[in-house]
Amino acid sequence: MIKSEEYDVLVIGGGISGAEASINLANQGFKVLIVEKDLSVGGKMIHLSKVFPTLDCSACITTPKISQTARHPNITIYTYSQVNDIEKKSEHNFQAIVTRYPRYVKEEDCTGCQICEEKCPVVVNDQYQYDLVGRKAVYVPFSIANPRVAAIDIENCSFCGACEKACPSEAIDFSQEKIDIQINVKSVVIATGFRLFDPLLIPRYGFGKYKNVITAMQMERQLVPTRPFNHVLRPKDGKMPDKIAYVLCAGSRDETIGNPICSQVCCMYSVKQAQLLMGALPLADITIYYLNIRSFGKGFNEFYQQAKDMGVNFIKGKIGKITETDNGNLLLRYEDIIEGVVKEAKHDLVVLSVGILANQGISSMFKDTLELDPFNYIKQSDELANPAKTTIRGVYVAGTASGPMDIPDSILSAGAASAEIAGYLRLRR
Amino acid sequence: MKNKIGVYICQCGSNISDYVDVVKVKDAALKVNGVHLAKTTMFACADSTQQEIANDIKEQKLDAIVIASCSPKLHLFTFRNVAIQAGLNPYNYVQVNIREQGSWAHSDNKPKATEKAIQLVLGGIARVKHSKELDMIKIHSENAVAVVGAGVAGMRAALELAEMGSVVHLIEREYFVGGRASQWNVLFTTNETGQQVVSRLYNQIITHPKVTLYTATNIVSKKGSVGDFTLTLKTKPRYINPECKLDLKKFQLAIDKCPIEVNDEFNFGITKRKAIFKNYDSEFPEIPAIDYDACNKCGECAKLCDDIDLNQQPHETTINVGAVLLSTGFNPYEPPVGEFGYGEVDNVITLQQFKRLIELSPEKLIYKGKEIKNIAYIYCVGSRQVDGDNKYCSRYCCTSVIHTAILVKNKYKGIQNFHFNRGIRTYGKQEKLYHEASEQGDIFLQSFEDAPTQVEKVGNETIVKIKDILTANEELEMSANLVVLVTGMVPRENADIVNLLKVPIGRDKFFNEIHPKLRPVETVIDGVLISGACQAPLNITESVKSALAAASKANSLISKGEIELEPTMAMVYNDKCTWCGKCSAACPYDAISIKEYNGKQIAQITEALCKGCGMCLPVCPENAIDLIGYTDKEMESMIEALIS
Repeated sequence: MIKSEEYDVLVIGGGISGAEASINLANQGFKVLIVEKDLSVGGKMIHLSKVFPTLDCSACITTPKISQTARHPNITIYTYSQVNDIEKKSEHNFQAIVTRYPRYVKEEDCTGCQICEEKCPVVVNDQYQYDLVGRKAVYVPFSIANPRVAAIDIENCSFCGACEKACPSEAIDFSQEKIDIQINVKSVVIATGFRLFDPLLIPRYGFGKYKNVITAMQMERQLVPTRPFNHVLRPKDGKMPDKIAYVLCAGSRDETIGNPICSQVCCMYSVKQAQLLMGALPLADITIYYLNIRSFGKGFNEFYQQAKDMGVNFIKGKIGKITETDNGNLLLRYEDIIEGVVKEAKHDLVVLSVGILANQGISSMFKDTLELDPFNYIKQSDELANPAKTTIRGVYVAGTASGPMDIPDSILSAGAASAEIAGYLRLRR
Repeated sequence: MKNKIGVYICQCGSNISDYVDVVKVKDAALKVNGVHLAKTTMFACADSTQQEIANDIKEQKLDAIVIASCSPKLHLFTFRNVAIQAGLNPYNYVQVNIREQGSWAHSDNKPKATEKAIQLVLGGIARVKHSKELDMIKIHSENAVAVVGAGVAGMRAALELAEMGSVVHLIEREYFVGGRASQWNVLFTTNETGQQVVSRLYNQIITHPKVTLYTATNIVSKKGSVGDFTLTLKTKPRYINPECKLDLKKFQLAIDKCPIEVNDEFNFGITKRKAIFKNYDSEFPEIPAIDYDACNKCGECAKLCDDIDLNQQPHETTINVGAVLLSTGFNPYEPPVGEFGYGEVDNVITLQQFKRLIELSPEKLIYKGKEIKNIAYIYCVGSRQVDGDNKYCSRYCCTSVIHTAILVKNKYKGIQNFHFNRGIRTYGKQEKLYHEASEQGDIFLQSFEDAPTQVEKVGNETIVKIKDILTANEELEMSANLVVLVTGMVPRENADIVNLLKVPIGRDKFFNEIHPKLRPVETVIDGVLISGACQAPLNITESVKSALAAASKANSLISKGEIELEPTMAMVYNDKCTWCGKCSAACPYDAISIKEYNGKQIAQITEALCKGCGMCLPVCPENAIDLIGYTDKEMESMIEALIS
């Protein structure tokens, strides 16, 4: 007999949009369940450094919001869990199965002391540092994770038992199994966010082959307060780079890789990183290779202008090919559109400003048909007047699950979703 | 005096600890009398640290805490909640800013940054020692909202607020609802027309029992503050009986008779209209209006129809609301005469005029008697100005003009579009429209930032010249039948509302939010919220999102029946006060009035109005005003510690 629970709203995804929508709803008295597939809530935003155009520290904005979510009496959070078989039985009546995967660590007992990490002999790539450094098979996901408790990566675990012996609070439990919970809710919010474009799909940029070609997310991690090296270093030899290139539209506005649309955030995050790098590496030259700079939001164009005034070099041109030369340096072949000639330039670090794509598999969580738009984002059925509405009545979308969006837009979209849901739920009250 | 104080020094990841030696700061704090414990922490705001602080308060029975971290603007409430959770009065907590005022400001001098952080922390400890337990002030709140502006954003917010149970007063300055959206025909993304969207919303609003719509109405006075605003509305007469059944024939006759002709602002001045008017047939409210400012009261129309009553007078209504939600929208930028030939060359119009022209031209596209075959669109007029004030990008125009260019090409035969742009910004999914326009053969040319496109009259022709980036600096020129200036957004003239409500204005002259991520629809004036394009250029979907978000915030602010206000406010020592009136003159919030006390006149503070800004304190010659939460005693001891 599986357990059964009831809530007013199921929020799928515990990133900034999911958190914002949940807090709004919970403050109005609705019971909310957040299901997060990752080990921690916080989504992508919790991993960012300072955010444009105000250069606020991202963790400083995210952590309190996350902590408010975690503490709210009307909010329950299941991390490391997945939702399936969402079925609309009738209006205001959805049923779903939430599967809670085992962490092999008792959440309530773990103190996050990380002694287990010291003892664990297995080292693998740290996905939260975007593979820049390693982590252990038993690990606290990252320093500001919520919940800040360990989990065992069972795929990579050698079952040596060292963690079990070392744990002072006897929190390690290899006998945990996944648990299915049946939930009944009145409404659903899809706040599943986005995924980053995989630059391996553009072989001519050399990502994966040349170590000094990195993604913007890897640069972002080098700029955050919890950065792995405490300096900006290039991966191949640990040298501090002094001639950095940004390649915009890597995986966006490109029919050849199946993503014809603009990702809406890459121009601005690159302009931001360039400004942060000028602080971190005062002597470095930074060049941004762009097609069009899309600094369209409030304060964005001024922010772009500020980067130009600080000395960031902007070149209008598409990168044709990147090759490695001496000492891991890189040669960029590009069309300088303004001069109308093909040129080459040498850089010692190349950052690919990777775009954002729709997460897959969202519609298959639903038994009813949840329609997608041509770019695989959740389709907004009444975009102009009810932007959070989807093709299933009672199911709403918040944040980047409906399309590329920056943080301010995601937060507004989550605000809109919570308002629309509150309206829908009150129809019943 | 507090004597069991907990002090926490935040590293802020490394934002602070890179420049400030947090251990030294902690050690210095520990030496102060009354400090019970001092700790350093990676992120004071992280959930686990908040838990730790709460546990310390409970287990060690702390009577006050100091957290040295970032600006209180960011986390004052975060840590106050930690105190509350642990059973400590939140006003026995002081936040010291060693990031913005410490590490970030003095990143070039680490020892001095540390020294300054120590002084600041000592000051904070000195202040918290004298801190008093204070309670929030609770005031009644009216579960009613005034939504200003009945465009798409305002109507959508009004509807949602009403659905959530608030009483809504929807106030529109014009005679008809719909705002800008009703002026646009087919909208991008859904291909619904603006008028369809407006009709859909209007029909829901007008049947909703909780919404009252006021057209031709302005706010003329405001009293009170959050939870309890009293607004006086002044409504211009429509001169037509609201109960009248619209007879289109009679209406047309009245239009024909009316001798007054004015510029038709609905069509951005490319046509004229009469004083009696309706902008389009299905416009709402259904009843036409007679323009109060234009009508000469000749009475010709009244002879045709009994429902016309030119004796109607403006009338005033008083409403009581808990919050005000502004959705006053935007104006298109009005180019000065001569900018790209505007007002000088006869076939130069703005994008907004062009959109109206298309709607008014069913078969052929004709402007000033000439059929249009090729069109030059000049981008970023009034936006991204190099010399002018408008440094911002107007966000919607690239997509809007490209969408219009596609429509024009589909609607009329043989149109050729030329886009003189400064880098196309069709962000997100709108990119597909740019693609579509290119596919259909539109020509895109891009000017250099220091060499803008030029428009000039040469003989009978209008010549558009550009040095084009996209064809390797080629100097190109074309003879255009029509030049469309892609004019961006500027805020509406809102001087009256700004003066009444004291809404903060940003550098870009749009209304300003408190924080784009944390509090994107609230302003520093409690109870005044903003949404849509009065805040920044936004398209319709984006405006609606912000309107809904604002509705949600407004509702949770006022729907509980009472609002909690900060107890940090001015207080008068009645015996010392001699009423000279200086404090009242200095108060920016009209919070100080005069009252009788023991046979003399003294100052009185209105709690709901006082923001605790402290402006009244230094002007008082008798030192008869103190600021609760920042008393002279607290401040003096803080200063002493700072300079010791």
